[in-house]
Parts: sequence; C-alpha cells; structure tokens
Amino acid sequence: MALIEVESMVKRFGGLMAVNDVSFVIDTREIVSMIGPNGAGKTTAFNCVTGLYPMTSGAVRFDGHIITGQPPHRITRLGIARTFQNIRLFSFMTALDNVMVGAHWWMSARVWDSVVKSPRARADEKRVEARARDLLEQLGLTRYAGSYARELPYGLQRRLEIARALATQPRVLLLDEPAAGLNPQEKKELMALISRLRDEGLTIFLIEHDMRVVMEISDRIVVLDHGVKITEGKPAEVRSNPQVIEAYLGQGAAERMVDA
Amino acid sequence: MPSLGLGRLLTRERVDPTARRPRGAGTSTFWIFSIGSATLLFMGWLLPWFVRPTSSGIGYSPMDVVSSAPTGIGTFLVYLLGIGMLVMVLSPFAELFYRARKRAVPERLDQVRVLIAVFGLVSTVVVFLLTRVIQEEQLFGPIDAFTITDSAVWLTMVGYILAATAYGLRGWVIRRPTTAFAALALPVGILLPLMFHQAPVFILWAAGSLGIYTLLALGLNVVVGFAGLLDLGYAAFFAIGAYTCGSLASPKHSIHLPLWVLIFLGAAVASMFGAVLGAPTLRLRGDYLAIVTLGFGEIIPDLATNNIGKLTGGPDGISSIDQPIVHLPFATINFGINKEWYYWSVLLVVIVVIVLLRNLEHSRVGRAWVALREDEVAAAATGINTTSTKLLAFAIGASVSGLAGAFYGSIVTIVSPDDFSFSVSVSILSIIVLGGIGNITGVIVGSFVLTFVIFWMLQYLNEWSATLGQTINVPSLGNIDYSQYTYMIYGVALILMMLLRPGGLIPSRARQIELTSGGEEESLAAVQGIA
Amino acid sequence: MSDESPAAADGMLVDQRGLTSRSHRGAASSPAVVATSTVLRQLYSLVQRYFPQILVAGIALSILFVYTTGGLTLMGEQIKNALVLGAIYALVAIGYTMVYGIIELINFAHGDVFALSSFYALIIATSFGGFVNSLATGSGIGLLVALVILFVTTMAAAGFTGMAIERVAYRRLRDAPRLAPLITAIGVSFLLEGFMLVKFGADNVPTKNDLWITGTALTLGKVSIAWTDLFVFATAVALMFTLGAFVRITTLGKAMRATAQDRNASLLCGINVNRTISATFFIGSALAAAGGIVYSLNYHSIQWSLGYRLGIIAFTAAVLGGIGNIVGAGIGGFVIGIIYVFGGQLAGGEWSDSLIFAILVIILTFRPTGLFGVDVTTRA
Repeated sequence: MALIEVESMVKRFGGLMAVNDVSFVIDTREIVSMIGPNGAGKTTAFNCVTGLYPMTSGAVRFDGHIITGQPPHRITRLGIARTFQNIRLFSFMTALDNVMVGAHWWMSARVWDSVVKSPRARADEKRVEARARDLLEQLGLTRYAGSYARELPYGLQRRLEIARALATQPRVLLLDEPAAGLNPQEKKELMALISRLRDEGLTIFLIEHDMRVVMEISDRIVVLDHGVKITEGKPAEVRSNPQVIEAYLGQGAAERMVDA
Repeated sequence: MPSLGLGRLLTRERVDPTARRPRGAGTSTFWIFSIGSATLLFMGWLLPWFVRPTSSGIGYSPMDVVSSAPTGIGTFLVYLLGIGMLVMVLSPFAELFYRARKRAVPERLDQVRVLIAVFGLVSTVVVFLLTRVIQEEQLFGPIDAFTITDSAVWLTMVGYILAATAYGLRGWVIRRPTTAFAALALPVGILLPLMFHQAPVFILWAAGSLGIYTLLALGLNVVVGFAGLLDLGYAAFFAIGAYTCGSLASPKHSIHLPLWVLIFLGAAVASMFGAVLGAPTLRLRGDYLAIVTLGFGEIIPDLATNNIGKLTGGPDGISSIDQPIVHLPFATINFGINKEWYYWSVLLVVIVVIVLLRNLEHSRVGRAWVALREDEVAAAATGINTTSTKLLAFAIGASVSGLAGAFYGSIVTIVSPDDFSFSVSVSILSIIVLGGIGNITGVIVGSFVLTFVIFWMLQYLNEWSATLGQTINVPSLGNIDYSQYTYMIYGVALILMMLLRPGGLIPSRARQIELTSGGEEESLAAVQGIA
Repeated sequence: MSDESPAAADGMLVDQRGLTSRSHRGAASSPAVVATSTVLRQLYSLVQRYFPQILVAGIALSILFVYTTGGLTLMGEQIKNALVLGAIYALVAIGYTMVYGIIELINFAHGDVFALSSFYALIIATSFGGFVNSLATGSGIGLLVALVILFVTTMAAAGFTGMAIERVAYRRLRDAPRLAPLITAIGVSFLLEGFMLVKFGADNVPTKNDLWITGTALTLGKVSIAWTDLFVFATAVALMFTLGAFVRITTLGKAMRATAQDRNASLLCGINVNRTISATFFIGSALAAAGGIVYSLNYHSIQWSLGYRLGIIAFTAAVLGGIGNIVGAGIGGFVIGIIYVFGGQLAGGEWSDSLIFAILVIILTFRPTGLFGVDVTTRA
C-alpha cells in the first residue's frame, strides 16, 4: 500500500531547477533510500515533502490525501517526522526536553491546564516524560537525559534527533544523511536501529551517501541527479545501472566500468 | 566553644580549599555570597537615608544609634546587633584571609555566623513583641520611643537576618536558589508596609513603581525571555490596560467598575491587542520584529494623544480614576488613603503571576517557546505550530501588562499618553536585561534595583545632595537635577550588561550561553522563501 | 483515544498509536477557517506583489486630494516642504542602510547621532567667541568659508563619534546573536539622549543661525522657494552622489561592498574588516551630521529628543528603499518625506508620525525587502 506518493514534484529557486518533475512512491513498512551526488536536490525534495519549502508544482499524497501546501507542523502531526542533515537539535534544552518537545502536539493539556498546573497537565506531563525517558533508554541515551543537547557527542546527537522524531508518533520517518559523521560501529548500530524501526511498523525514507549502508538496508532506492530522477529500483538493479555510475563518477568512468 | 553541630547542620558545604568543591559552589559563588551579603547589610543601613533623607524626627538613621548612649535595653540590643553585623560583614574577609594562605577555614567561623543569625532572629522577634504587642517602647532609652519601631531598625534587622541566613544556609541556597530566594524575599515583601509605616511615600513607591514594574517585567520576560521575541512596544499594552481602567472607573464616561473586575478586563483587552498586533510580526526575523513592535508602541500612545473617538481625553488623559473602598464587617479600607493595601494587592498579584508563569515555563507551552527561540525550523518540523505559539507568548505577555496597567491607573488616578512612551518600554527591557533575561528571579531583582534607583533614589538624591552641599559648603551640589540622569542610567545599564554580563545579574543558565554564543537565527518564513 | 491510555509498550521505539491513519486528528481545520485563511493569504500575496503600485497610487491620490482642496499653491508649497524634509530623512537613512548592510545591525543610536551632531554644529558655530557665526553672517565668501568649516568639523566629529560607538558598543558583539547588539544599540541611544538632556536641557534650543542663509531664491507661480530650501536639497543630493561614487570607485568602497556580502571571505581576501566597518560608521555618521546641520539651518531649533522619532522615520525610509541599498535609502527618504507631508495634510498634522509608523509596520509585514529589493551587489 502506498503511503507517500510524490507526483511530478518541481521546485525552482529563481532560475535553478532544484527538483524537476520527480515522482516516486513509498509503501508502508518499506525502507526507501534516495541517493545522488551533492546538489542533486535530495534535501530539497525532503523539504518539499515536509512542507518546509513550498513546491513550485506537483503534489505529495500521504495516506491517500494531498498534503501539498500544508504547513510543516501539520504535516508532522499527520505522521511524517524527520531529522536534519546538519543536526538541528534545541542546543540549550536537555536531551529529555528535546524528546518531550516531540510529544508537544499530542499532549492533551490545554494552555489553561498548563497555567494552573491542573491534574490533567500533571498527568499529561508525567506520561510524556515517561515515554521520553523510555525512548532515551532504548536509544542508549539515559545518562545524557539531563545534559544539554549540545553537550552530547556527535553520534549521540544524531540518535537524539531520531528520538525526538520518534516522539512525534510518526508513521514515516525521514532521515537526512543519518550516517554522516558516524564511525563504523555507530553505523552498524544505526542500521540495526533502522531495521528495528521498520519491524515495529514504521516506514523509513532516507537520504544517505554511505553506499554500504544504503545497499544493505534499503528495499528500494531512488536516484536523483541534477534534480531529475534517473532511476529507481532494488539495490542490485541500481548498483549496476550505468546512468547511476555516470552520475556519480562522470561519463568516462561509466564507460570504463561498463567495458570492464 | 562547645560544638553545637549547628554549623555543620546548616552549612552542608565545608569550606576546604584542598577538597574538590561541588559544581556551582566554586570561587565565584563564594564571591557572590560575600559581596552579596555585605551589600545587603549595607543597604539595610543605608536605605533609611534614602527613604527619609532629610526630615528629622520621623526618620531614623543608624547615626541616631551611634549618637545616643546605650541606656535602654532596646538600644543595647541595637548595639549588639551592630556588633553582630560587623562580624558578619568582616567574616568574608577572614575567609579570604584563610583562603589566601591556603588554609582551611575553621568551622568555628561558620558556627559563629549561624549563632549570630539565630540571635538576630530572636532579638528581632523580641523587639517586635515589645514594641507592637506589649507596647513597652520606653525600654528604648533616649531615642524617641516611637522611632525605634521605625523603618531603619526593622530593615536593618531583616537585612541582617537575611545576610546571616544566606551565609549560614549557603549549602541549601546553592542547591535550591529559587526556593531560597522566595523564602528570604517573601517576609520582607509582606512586612514592608509595617517597616515603613511612617513613610507612606515609600509604600506608594513599592506599590506603584516596584510592584507595577515587576509585573511589567514579568510579562515582557514571557515574550523576550521565554519565546525570544524582542518586543520594543511593550508599553502599548500597559497603556491599553491603564486606559481600560481609566475609561471604566472614572467620571470620564460615568462608568464605575470595581478594580477587581478591571484588572481582568484590562488583561483580557490587552491580550487581545497583543494577539492582534503580534499577528503581522509572526513571519519576521528578530530585529525586524522588534522594530514593528516599536512602531505599534508609538502608534498606540499617539492614538491616545489625538483623542481617538473622543475616548481618551487627548494629551491630558483621563483623571480622577476611582480608588477602591472595601467595606469589611470590622473596618472600611480606603485604598486611596491606606496605600499599603494597594501594595499588598499588587504583591498578591505579583506572587500569583509568578506562580502561574513558572507553571507555564515548565509546561509543554514553555518547552515549545524555548524550542521556538532556539530553532524555529526544527520546532515547526517537530509539530509545533509556530504561529499560535508566538501569538500565545504575545497574548500572555500583553495580558500581564494590561493587568499592571489597570492597577497603575487606579494607583496614580490619572493616565496620560506620556506615561507610556518608548522610554517605559526601554525601562522594562532594562529591568530584564539587568536581572537576567528569561529568569524570573533575575527579573525580580532587576526590577527592584532599577525601580529603586530610578523612581526612588534619583527623586530624593536632589534633596540629599542639597543637604550634603550645605553641610560641606558646596552649594552647587544642590543645583543638580539627578532625575535627568534616568535615560543615561538605562543606557549604561543596557550597554554594560550586554557587553559584560549578557545573562544579567542572575542569569538563567541556558540563556547566558545562548546570548554569548548563539548561532545565526533563521525564521521559518525566511526558509520558506515567504519573507 | 483517551488521555489515560498507556504510552507505547515498554521496549517499543515506535508508538503504535501513531501508526493509525489520522487525517482527522488535530490536523484538519474547519472549512470556514481554511477558506478565511486562503482569502487572507491571497490578499497578502496580492498586496505583497503590487506593493509599489499601491504605494505610488496612495501617494498620487493624496497629492491629488491636496490639489483639489488647496489648489496649486498649497500643493507646490507642500511638495517643496516634502523634498526638504525628505532630503534630511535621506541623509539619515543612508547611515542606517549602510550599517545594516555591513553588519546587519539596526543602529538604533543613529538618530541620536543626528541630533547630537546638530548640537556639535551649534557648539562649533558659537565657540571661539562666535567666530564661525560672525564669519557666516559677514559676507558671501565668509558664509562659504563658514559652511566649509562647519560641515568639515561637524561631520568629522560625528564620524568619530560613530566610530567610537561601534568600537565600544558593537564590535565585541559582532558574532553574538542579532538581538544582543540591538539591545546595546538601544542602550547607546538612551545614553546619547540622556547626555544631551543633561548637557543641553529639556527645552528647545535655538540654533541662532537664522541669519546665515536668508532670502528667497526663486518663485514658481505663487510658491516661493527660499535659499535654505535649495541649500538643503542641493547639499543632500550632492552628498549622496559623492557617496555613491565613493562606494563604487574607491578601494574602501569596494571593501565595504565585499564585507557586506561576506565578512569572512573578505577577511580571507586580506580586507581589514574592522577598519572597513569603522569607515562605514564614520561615513554614515558624517552624513547624519550633514543632515543635522542642514536641519538646524532650516528649522533653527533643536532638541535633545529630536533624534528618536526622526531616526525611526529615517529608518522607515531605509526599509522602504530596501535595507542595505544606498540608492534605495536616498529615494526612500524623499518618498517618506512626501508621505509625511501630504499624509499629514490629509489626516491632520498630529497623525503624521503615526502614519509613518504604520507605513513602517506595513512595509515590514508585506515587503521586508522594500521597494527595490536587496540587490546584493549594491549593498554596502
């Protein structure tokens, strides 16, 4: 069943076509990667899906409904959570608070409850804190719960960002280069995490440069180059596609590889 | 001296230069305590001079004690207290002396201080009982029987107890600073009118300046401190609250609503305006937002000046605003005459507002504000509705301001456009910058310091300086109008704080680092290419 | 789903409640709200797109209105007033725009530098036994010499004041978040205002230069244009053209443009960024000083708080012209002058200030890039 359908997405910045007529579909409980050289428009496509950029034309369907033009917070509330390429945590909030911000939208306390600290607000706060601590624990961040996000080591910051995204109760998780800057051990853990998330019912859509990660965990791969989708398919298909090799290594290299 | 175990009980933190001190209790804490307590003590000494700088008879100053012989028990008590205070003031230097020699400070020093604190507490209670309950004022020897109960002694004693307690309990103070602050400040706050019952002008200052500006600063702190939106037109909401009160409780429109209704009405009207005026600023970056609010802050008093709809009375404003008269079964309280009731009302409101704002700060709303302040884009991507969250900050900040405005109108009985100029907005901003942006305790301290300097000290400095000029034969000292320095004081406070201590006197931890090493802020609208 | 339902079972990362379809949950708004917000959004983008046209139409209408009510003479008189006032706004606006262009700071104290420099001019004209003053009222040549002395010394003094302000108050906060230097700038503004209040008193101060430039230069129809009007206008335009040429041609001007575009890259290219920024403050403040001089020559009365409102109005002009854009600030100054005078004529003079503040709010809300956008290449 298709969960996200991107139809002819176009995003233009002035004269630059960052994303040009890209369409693809992501099924429920699927891990789909988007790859492509730097500047191929991957993050732009992400931003268009999550509503951070208004699209020039085209449409995004989520669960059968068009979500194009919705503000980002509403898209998140529908169930699309994301992380950022250059980690965007709330640096001067504790790790716990960062995760609890993720739960903000589904908390039931109204402003008035918060003002007078009503029983409802207390219960709500308690419940969400428990959930946030649970998430931190499962991601091995418990001992950092009270530290500022900026004090965490880099790899853990990436994990904290995932925890924050998970706290929004997503159906789809968009990860923008989650393996960037991680060491091999951390990458292994990340892959295990992603697989686990899928097993628990989540759909994963990620941008990644590390081909080992991409090839190992992806069900399908979408390849972008200069804003255009050049191919899409199973990892094995994509790996041997000459267009992909060309996009990555240039024309000559592609020919040589095909020759070889 | 037998060990009472008291020192150890009260001071969890053993001062041992070789041992590793717990985090946050380092040298700087030592300095803050030493200097802070000493300052507090000296303020206790000096405040009466400012409260009643020149008048003789009513006023009471430490000099009176020095010049009189210790005949009565009370005077003797005052002497003892003086010696105790001297020990307290000098003890940091003793501590410093030990530290400089890298020797452990003897525990006895702490014990002495704690004992003095207990003594101070007990003797204050004794004096209070003697003078107020038993009416044995004759005990106080040659000093006018009545004056001994006056401001100076009370204040000196309280200041001294505070300092002593702060020393003795500094382990606790370090661990729970907010609770400690509340516990130490509340008694002074509540008893203030009793301590200064012979200086009603001071009570009026405490209600009309300190109380009102504390409220205003608390409200602005929501907008600037919590949500990170610089509002330079905050006085507009103050004006709206005051004019609401003025219109609905004065002969102007022949409507006379009670103040208790008006403060809620003022808050409601102001918060509505806050949301409406906040709306256009939502997509703007921080500095543009500040300028737009500044524009509104100029337009609103202009509307009042130009007597829009013949509602506001033009440049003269609205006068003879009602002051409440409360009929109780046993007494009738006329707020216009017994100003201390204004003070207590404002104090009550301040406390309630503080409690509510603290709730808000530590709730989902407060978290959303911080998230918004730190990274608007990430906040939006995490499901926070940036628009409504910002509007909420504006509305809540404005409502506190409107509430303060309603009180203000009633206290001063006349509102005119000049009371709500840009300099009022800046003075409120100065308070929170001075005290510590985003920190409620800091805001209270800042508002005390600034309103005391601006609205009390400068007013009386003229008189004081003239007297001094006569005494030392420099008559030109009498010609200086110190109130002209108000602007410069705001200016210097803002500049120095931002340059030297951007977190304020009492910084909130996160906000301090954020203000010194913040990254480039980027609004959601800018990212989306709308603005 | 009730509030009390337990969170995801322990050991699960994914909250299973979240995996349900939820277009109905908190996401969708009622049709009325959607419709209203759509209308508002369309209105917003309409105003945004046609902002210059709307502005020009508004101005034209108000001029027309003044013409129909007061006739040609009143209109001509008001156009003259608007241009004179606009010239002063333009001179001050340039300082705002240059500083914002280069360090993205709303130099709140700029208006007060303007006021302060008008006091500088007063001091220079009256000190040394009123030497400059007597020179100016003596003869034609004397006036010329006096003007040169006055302009050079005042502009230099104001320039150094501006540099000192930058050095003391802003430089250390250059890499702090945007609001920190803005708050400091407000502090500097209040410090300067307070200084002027203490030093020169709370009342209007006559500048005593009524006799410097007198008489009517020419009469167009029934509108008589005084020499002072002409002088103000000519000075402003001449200074603006000089500045334009300076920024385009000289090395320092190029350094300014480079620094405005990318401070770090300029640093790497060997540009002395500190000196460039100092120079920007010098030039901006000097132009404000020129504004202060012509203001005092034209209106003969100055006050400590003069710079505050005039500063905001000039800032509005800078924003209107597209902040960072020097030419835009110049044009913006004149446009704001016209709006101020004709709007005041239309709505009553007591509304002039409010009108400008409203314009400020409207520009920043609908078109923060101003009339001419931020053409990065002309930033300095």
